[in-house]
Amino acid sequence: MLNLLQVFSTGLGLAGYYALVAVGFALIFATLRIFHVAHGTVFMTAGYAFFGLHRLAGLHIALAAACALAIAALVGLLIDKIIYGPVLKRGGGMFSVFIASLGVSLIFESGFLVWSKGVVSVARAELLDIFIVGDVVLRRFDFFILAIVALAYGALYLWLHRTSTGLAIRGLTDNSELSAIVGVEVAKTRNAIFLVASSLAGLAGVLTAYDTGMTPASGVQTLFIGVVAVILGGTRNILLGAIVGAAALGMLTAFAGYFFPEWISFSIFAMMIILIIFRPQGLLG
Amino acid sequence: MTSANNGLRIDGLAMNFGGVFVFDDVTIDIPPGKVTACIGPNGAGKTTIINIVCGVFAPRAGEIFVDGVKLAGVRPFDTVRHGLCRSFQDVRIFPFLTALENILVAMPGQSGENLLGLFTPGARAQERANREKARLLLQTVALEGAAGRPAGELPFGQQKLVSLLRAVATGARVLLLDEPAAGVEIDLIPRVVDLIRALAKAEGRATFLVEHNIDLVREVADHVCVLQGGRIIASGAAEHVLGDETVIREYLGRVYNA
Amino acid sequence: MEHLYYLGTLISVWIIVALAANLVIGYTGMMAMGQAAYLGVGAYVAAGLNVLLGVNFHLALLAALLVSGAVAAATLWPLLRIGGFYFALATLGLNFVFFDIFHNLGPRVEGSEGLHGLKLPDLFAGSGARFATTAALAALCFLACRTIVGSPLGRALRAVRDRPDALAALGKDPRRYQMLIWSVAGALTGLAGGLYAATLFYIDPTLFTLDASILVLVYIGVGGLASTWGSVLGVVLLIVFNESLRYLGLPSQYVGPLQQALYGLLLIGLMIFRRRGLVGEYDFRE
Repeated sequence: MLNLLQVFSTGLGLAGYYALVAVGFALIFATLRIFHVAHGTVFMTAGYAFFGLHRLAGLHIALAAACALAIAALVGLLIDKIIYGPVLKRGGGMFSVFIASLGVSLIFESGFLVWSKGVVSVARAELLDIFIVGDVVLRRFDFFILAIVALAYGALYLWLHRTSTGLAIRGLTDNSELSAIVGVEVAKTRNAIFLVASSLAGLAGVLTAYDTGMTPASGVQTLFIGVVAVILGGTRNILLGAIVGAAALGMLTAFAGYFFPEWISFSIFAMMIILIIFRPQGLLG
Repeated sequence: MTSANNGLRIDGLAMNFGGVFVFDDVTIDIPPGKVTACIGPNGAGKTTIINIVCGVFAPRAGEIFVDGVKLAGVRPFDTVRHGLCRSFQDVRIFPFLTALENILVAMPGQSGENLLGLFTPGARAQERANREKARLLLQTVALEGAAGRPAGELPFGQQKLVSLLRAVATGARVLLLDEPAAGVEIDLIPRVVDLIRALAKAEGRATFLVEHNIDLVREVADHVCVLQGGRIIASGAAEHVLGDETVIREYLGRVYNA
Repeated sequence: MEHLYYLGTLISVWIIVALAANLVIGYTGMMAMGQAAYLGVGAYVAAGLNVLLGVNFHLALLAALLVSGAVAAATLWPLLRIGGFYFALATLGLNFVFFDIFHNLGPRVEGSEGLHGLKLPDLFAGSGARFATTAALAALCFLACRTIVGSPLGRALRAVRDRPDALAALGKDPRRYQMLIWSVAGALTGLAGGLYAATLFYIDPTLFTLDASILVLVYIGVGGLASTWGSVLGVVLLIVFNESLRYLGLPSQYVGPLQQALYGLLLIGLMIFRRRGLVGEYDFRE
């Protein structure tokens, strides 16, 4: 029983990372119908940039984190402008963009492979900061992550519900054809979506690089976790869906990791396939 | 329903989509060798009748008989097995198949469609015969020149003709044609008329027509029923129904006001 | 010479995989993103039977073909009801599901991550003989695929791809054709898996990941969708090109990433400039 609580707390920590990645992915998928595989790339780019700026260039940790976020946002925006835009303009559809996006992630991944095959990590002593409640060991850093997730979601909620851009974005999820009439606004909204979603992925990337570290494979893993979270939560309500999906997935990963660690990706993806078959609109849809 | 060959009978069909009422008590006889047309304003549920017959939707009430045999639990892909075939208002041609292939693909019982059958010499001979049949079908609408062209590149009217021939090629005894003339270029309409006549008169197929174009209906239909306001308001021999002042006022009035 | 034989064998193996993938993706319009799973099943069945149970390799190959076909049919069955993009996503998930299966349940030789020590019969024993046999099998598959796509069956497959609802209205159940061709493609991919094991002498789960499935996509994307010659062309060009990268004199740790980056560029370039590939008859429309 106490073991379960421990697993639960681990799952909660994981859910925090997943939530940051998933909500950005969901935002792009629900509004633009783009299956942004390279969202994982953006996540990874932030982590490597953070590592490079802080560890190699010696920038102050906060400054390095801020720069890494900006780089992630920019990379996300440029992927849309340089790759997806032309594919769509030349008559490509959802599947073509998906393949092109795979291409982007292959290129970035190869770059990081050249940089380092192993884990790059900024990890520090604070990570060992733990406290014990009963028999459960808790990491202070996990609470830090959850606090950041709460802040990010709060800001996102205000952005979506209190600004005109947010209104336009929610319009896109409801009826994209209606919103498309507004022409110029759509391009602006599109940029905003990519910038915000990529910053959130970047935030997760910086935190991951700080915590467990990045490997060239982290991007794809993280992306698919985001995807499964979105399929779990559905895209009707982006924020709620992503957080429910991420929480469920965090728990699944933690429990699978505890009881049958060899079968983690089997569990995740088997569940994804089963969901697609029986509830493609998500658990909440 | 005593004869073994009395076409399609739609008996007391009732339908609603969720809470939205579509129609009630629709009864239509579609005998072989005749063209039966259903006219009515947009949204009256004419296409819905075809969709129900083909098993796309389940009706609230009513029965469907083909040659006296009741249809039950039919799914779209086994309509042809029961002797029915439909066409679509929006053609749904196979754009990357040639006009000839569009017709060929519809032919039933091809041993060349089975993995083992396709390597047998019998399949070759059958395919040659089918090609000849398909070519003849194209000739009936003077489209033999388009045989080798991808159907997606043909003008809309020609696509529609090909899609009608496709339904014909299935060999179905009952044809359900959804607005075969809609969107067809004016100079091709006589070919549509001739084809539909030939199907019923020369080949004895039971032909059901859902159509907006009242001139076409006048030219091809033997029987006409008018679906309006959720029920059949008039039904009978074409010249009677189309000569009925109230029908014409109701129908044409709506069409021209729309 | 040894190395040339090896390359020729490898090309032959991937030609079979690409032909099979093109049957489902290019001709039937089913977005198969998990072909590596069936490749792995074939490789594990052939190598497992041969190494652990001492089954004659010819028989093991036949078993690989049959088992992969059956596994393909069994995995497609529940997926038939989903369409479009979610189908692609589900097949993509198969890569990860099967990786864990290979990793956790796949037989392995003591002290290694995978299987080695195949006992190959004469037709596969020397590198020359192995190349000749594999190439002959690839040629056979090529002819079989050409026969299929040129037949009434091939026509029906293209009709499934273009308008499944219209085909259903003509009295032919699209799912029947999808099931049939998916199983055929799975069987051929499984055969290729068995041959792949004989080519490499060693298999482990890392050979059958998403990367391999993407590779298949790159091959037929470059060569051309709905084209048998396209499948051959894509594989030959890319493997030869890839091989030539080795002779650039780069440090060896850069060759792999460079290949990967070029594949990425190719995918992007194809999607922007030529979605039908070099000689394709169809393109990624969705």
